Amino acid sequence: MSYSREEVKAITDKILNMAKADAVEVDFQGGERSATRYANSSITANLIEHDQQVNITVYYGQKSASTVTHQFDDASLKTAIEEAQALARRKPDNPETMPLVKPPQNYVPVEAVIDRTANFGPAERAAMVKKSLDICEKKGVVGAGYIPKLHWTQATANSEGLFSYFRYAEASLILTCRTPDGTGSGWAGQTGLKDVSQIDPVAITERAADKALKSQKPRAIEPGDYTVILEPRPAARFLSLLLTSMDARSAEEGRSFMSGKERGQTKVGEKLFGDNVTIKSVINHPVLRQSPIGEDGLAAQDVTWVEKGVVKNLYYSRYWAQKTGKQPTATQPGLSLVMDGGTTSVEEMIKTTKRGLLVSFFWYMRPVEQMSILYTGMTRDGLFLIENGEITAPVQNFRWNETPVVGLNNISALGPPEPMHTGEAYDQPGTAMIPAMRIEDFTMTSVSPAV
Amino acid sequence: MPQNRRDFLKTAGVAGAALTLSDLWLAPASAQSPRARSGPWRTWGTDALKQARALGCTYADIRFGRKRSQALNVRNGQLTSAGGFSFGGFGATPGGGVSDTYGFGVRVIHSGVWGFASSPIVAPDEIRRVVQQATDIARASAMAKRFDVKLAPVPAYDEFYETPHERDPFEVPLEEKLAILTEATSEIQKNKQILFATAQVSFSHDWKFLVTSEGSFIEQSLYYCSCGTSATARTKGQVKTRIYTPGASTAGYEFLVKADLKGNAERVAAEAVEHSMAAPVSAGLKDLVLKPSHLALTIHEIIAHPTELDRIVGYEANYAGTSFVKLSDLKKLKYGSPLLNVYADRTHVGGCGTVGFDDDGVKAQRWPIIQDGILVGLQTNRETAHYMGETESRGCTFANHWRNYPFLRMPNIQMQPGKPGSPTLEQMIADVKDGVLVEGSGSFSIDQQRYNGQFGGNAFWEIKNGKVTRMVTDFTYNAITTDFWANLDAVGPPESWEHHGMDGDAKGQPVQSNYPSHGSSPCLIRKVMVGAAFS
Repeated sequence: MSYSREEVKAITDKILNMAKADAVEVDFQGGERSATRYANSSITANLIEHDQQVNITVYYGQKSASTVTHQFDDASLKTAIEEAQALARRKPDNPETMPLVKPPQNYVPVEAVIDRTANFGPAERAAMVKKSLDICEKKGVVGAGYIPKLHWTQATANSEGLFSYFRYAEASLILTCRTPDGTGSGWAGQTGLKDVSQIDPVAITERAADKALKSQKPRAIEPGDYTVILEPRPAARFLSLLLTSMDARSAEEGRSFMSGKERGQTKVGEKLFGDNVTIKSVINHPVLRQSPIGEDGLAAQDVTWVEKGVVKNLYYSRYWAQKTGKQPTATQPGLSLVMDGGTTSVEEMIKTTKRGLLVSFFWYMRPVEQMSILYTGMTRDGLFLIENGEITAPVQNFRWNETPVVGLNNISALGPPEPMHTGEAYDQPGTAMIPAMRIEDFTMTSVSPAV
Repeated sequence: MPQNRRDFLKTAGVAGAALTLSDLWLAPASAQSPRARSGPWRTWGTDALKQARALGCTYADIRFGRKRSQALNVRNGQLTSAGGFSFGGFGATPGGGVSDTYGFGVRVIHSGVWGFASSPIVAPDEIRRVVQQATDIARASAMAKRFDVKLAPVPAYDEFYETPHERDPFEVPLEEKLAILTEATSEIQKNKQILFATAQVSFSHDWKFLVTSEGSFIEQSLYYCSCGTSATARTKGQVKTRIYTPGASTAGYEFLVKADLKGNAERVAAEAVEHSMAAPVSAGLKDLVLKPSHLALTIHEIIAHPTELDRIVGYEANYAGTSFVKLSDLKKLKYGSPLLNVYADRTHVGGCGTVGFDDDGVKAQRWPIIQDGILVGLQTNRETAHYMGETESRGCTFANHWRNYPFLRMPNIQMQPGKPGSPTLEQMIADVKDGVLVEGSGSFSIDQQRYNGQFGGNAFWEIKNGKVTRMVTDFTYNAITTDFWANLDAVGPPESWEHHGMDGDAKGQPVQSNYPSHGSSPCLIRKVMVGAAFS
């Protein structure tokens, strides 16, 4: 199920022609979200969801209102437009209303649809599940996995003549294996791949199964500050915590870690992290191939957020940029995110670690204190003690309380970046290029017997 | 006849093929005149199930749905599309506009396996295509099956259920709703130390019509409302946000009116300022007096989730997790002190998890989970009941949208109040030498089996020698579930019982958000580790 550029333009043009207002913007989204889920070594859900929607925003001077409809027949569109118009007229002026983005916008061309990914269907997903389950059976573990696929179109059009269009298809395989006695659990996965043929169910299953088997009967060790080796999945989750503080408005209003000493000031230009921390958004990254469309249809641009530990840019929305006399950033901090890596493999990190922990997965990360970006979370699905360069034992999971401000100052080794999702769930785009990280003095505060 | 969606769309949309959404919703539904009695869905549903049977499906259902939602966010008196603190939102786009979504989902069992497909194009041709697609998906899935889906039996119903409500929020003029919110933020801003003030309300209406191959025709009209205010203060670099939220409820517009946002504004502002100047709480073992507004989330995380049967048997192992509770724990596990009594309830008026029927067509009910501290029940649906040897479902199957497949979701999980004459909040405080009084939700995190939780809150007051002394900050406590509830030393009387709706509960893959409520009276928990997050 996909929407061609012409089909979408026909829908947005129809809406723009029907609406009677000073200005109109239409945001279109539609396509197919499919998924196969398995647990207890059997498929528990296999589905195809088709959806489509337009978000219609009308403006009368500084007044605006939006309505959303999923029905594209004339009567439904007319109803949605009239509701938006009636609502906008009755609303108070909004001083934060911005003029529409004008064409032309020079979008970076991004080719994000490969046919075999777009056509990756329930039968192929079931075959992938079978391959995975056969390995689980052979190894004596219980597999629970998820294969999401998105084939999605987004577009923005407005009455100034702007029309942006982006279509992508991507798939993932995420797997947790558990031992039948419930004492071992292991995770492995690949996310956000534009080419489904790169998913390797055999390698993923073997990795998750081996971790489950090796993590059986973990022993409890004392909480404290540990050297941790974060594989790419927990590294991606940990890095994502920093993104919540990259908003310029929050910083200048004095309510974020990036706030300066006085209201209106920020920490841009300050060296806040280690020399080995460089974080960028790279539009049309050859692996990520994410949307080139930014806020309100602005063309997204490459942005360097942090370079060698120095904060280079914060995200300025169009309104906040205008208010403060800056340029709008257009690119959200999580878009096409790339963290520079190093050349040290996880195996080499283990070999050069005197005492530490190998972390497979971070779970249930939640904020504790916003000004310091202090978060708490759990380890999960494979935590191993490293002593004198070797993995010596599986250990019970820890609750940690840590901030990326400290963590990103204590990186002692980086691996090569690889694609990994930064979010808790895998249903939206959110994959970034993330290296494995070794971080010193990471604070583990309590033990959990959870497996 | 068009053979696929693209051809179908090219024939001028659904208007040419079926009644449009506008045509179908000219008159409001009521118990006397439910929509599905006169609309086309009954016929469409019946035809869909005939088709599914002809294709060899052993079970099928079709769920038509329309979901309307509206969210209003006011910041410093100004309606904004950028929400401040989120109070749920029910999927609405902030800024006052109405999101209106309409479609259907088809679920079948073929070859012993589920298949599901959905579409926003509600018309006979598209329904036929989607039934075929769901069947094809199930057939394809059978290649990887290890066992057949087994459903507990359910009687057939032909019924209509509607949330008790006084006023449909979608009929209330925007100006009236906005006035309540702007007055609340103006009142908060009278305190000059406030950085900014926000007020929010979200409304949602879910219309559902379920037709099942068990013979059920079930129509439901469910109204939800959540609202609240927040005040943010900054003192010497300390930024604190105080939140007032009566939570969320199945209710109409009247919930917003009764919430009295303006009446609570001055207090909320003053407490935000006080919190921004507060000293950190000292770390160590302390007694905690927990108000219902705080306990809702704790109950949610360490009682409601671990007693979901799908988690216990491994369905969520790859995402939300499993549970420390085992099937063999039933009737044996000492979950907490004898004062701990918990029940599941789909019938409580105003509860966010309150419905007439679940999405399997099982009638809403109430049943015990913990009695006198012992685990006695679990949350089940038709697919999982057999795991615990039960022959009937407890009615916990839900999808949050017509687009999504239904699976096991928690109902309202409520802690019973203490007996009449149990200690009041004041008496609990008087009985504490060194402790903290906690209100509202804050930071929360819990491991994948629900053993180890760390919880914050929204406001904290030190208790010394039986008296509340001052506000404190940097508060979290850590709990190992059964140890925590074993230390439950007092539960407030019936008149102090409150229920609080959740802003959202993520589970499943693709992830779905659910809105249960959790009720309790204030509780006193002894000897809890406080402050580890900041040590």
